[in-house]
Amino acid sequence: MANNLSNSQDYTGPLRRLLLVVVSLVLIAIFLVWRIDSPRVERFRAQVTDRIVPNFDWAMAPVTGTINLFRDYQSYQRIAEQNQELRRELRKMQSWKEAALQLEQENARLLDLNKVRLDPRLTFITGVVLADSGSPFRQSVLLNVGARDGLVDGWATMDGIGLVGRISGVAKNTSRVILLTDASSRIPAVIQPSGQRAIIAGDNSAAPPLDFIESPDLVRPGDRVVSSGDGGVFPAGLVIGQVAADPGGRLRVRLAADYERLKFLRVLRSYTTEPVTDAAHVLTPDLASNDTGVTTDE
Amino acid sequence: MNEYQTSRVWFMRTCFIVLALVALFMHLLPLSTLPSAWAMPDLLVGFALAWSVRRPDYVPVFLLASMLLLSDLLLQRPPGLWALLILLCCENLKLRAHSLRAANFAVEWATVAALILGAMLGYRMILAVLLVERPSLGLHLIETTMTILSYPFIVFITHAFMGVRKTIPGDLDAPRGRL
Repeated sequence: MANNLSNSQDYTGPLRRLLLVVVSLVLIAIFLVWRIDSPRVERFRAQVTDRIVPNFDWAMAPVTGTINLFRDYQSYQRIAEQNQELRRELRKMQSWKEAALQLEQENARLLDLNKVRLDPRLTFITGVVLADSGSPFRQSVLLNVGARDGLVDGWATMDGIGLVGRISGVAKNTSRVILLTDASSRIPAVIQPSGQRAIIAGDNSAAPPLDFIESPDLVRPGDRVVSSGDGGVFPAGLVIGQVAADPGGRLRVRLAADYERLKFLRVLRSYTTEPVTDAAHVLTPDLASNDTGVTTDE
Repeated sequence: MNEYQTSRVWFMRTCFIVLALVALFMHLLPLSTLPSAWAMPDLLVGFALAWSVRRPDYVPVFLLASMLLLSDLLLQRPPGLWALLILLCCENLKLRAHSLRAANFAVEWATVAALILGAMLGYRMILAVLLVERPSLGLHLIETTMTILSYPFIVFITHAFMGVRKTIPGDLDAPRGRL
């Protein structure tokens, strides 16, 4: 029998090696194609995700629910404290509610006087979070709405309160939202009340830093950060969060959206965004300006 | 190889597919969308290596490659590269399966740890050469360490609950041969 076995291994040895080489070459080819023509492969990835992940959905909801239940149970242990805390906060909120109601009435009156009509194109689609990125290096979530619901790459996504991210990768039934905390996320923002413009550059931490602030002296922790609409990426004026300074003195954004539990997300329809069609490439000064430079030299 | 052996092999191959899907499912659970400071072990890699040492015939090249590529696609990694490196690690282990069969667990663990570490370094180097954005070093190290540390548990589960054990002489004989 042992003799027989080694014989069969000798027989299959070269064949297996050949198979290994072929499979390895295929994998290398896939990787290189991805490196060269990323959007196409990313679309393929979105389609694969679209086929597989929704099938997990029936199991994912109960398992997530159960685990969250256990987590909540731990917080039940200090329920008395929490109750006191909430009562205190509620009393504070009551006064705010009064103020908010008055402001709302005033706002309604003013809108009526102005005959303002809100942009009818700014409507939204609500989706449920199916899955997260599955990797600690990437911050994204998968929504259960996709091209079927008319989603387009680049649309802004919010939870009830603040901006969460942007759509990147749409398949038929699902779409991926790159969160503001992802290392590849860059969102133009404006800081109120100073009006300073900045880029929110995600770095895989809970509070993304603010880059490219012209005069940081004018920005104070606590200032509001809203999207600026620069570059036609997002509609302007979406709440993002508040400025906070980290121990190193770097300015960061404390996000308004509740990143702890993202469950239902709103995708804002906006038809001003430029479609992303080409692969990433190096930006060079365009030829027209080069030409004029040459002529002035002459 | 008789009828019983063949059906058992195909059954275990199906088991590996299910196992890979379960591992992916665990990764994809939307438990927390906050960026976390630590990383889960890469379960699929652990199981692939553990099965390759024990029963190479349960995890043929094609099955391994397709499952690893699927995990690359679903977990937002550059598709193909990590799959290729782990596939090569598994094949390397399969070649050494004969010698590792006789060795004790510490040797096996050390070999696997060296392979995982090598794969991680190779992965980062290739990404750096091709100017692809690399995952943060700290987190990547944590993930690699977690995978290496979880390897004994994975082996335990493999051994105890799934019955994937190293072949002993006579194991591949037909069951009726023992009667």
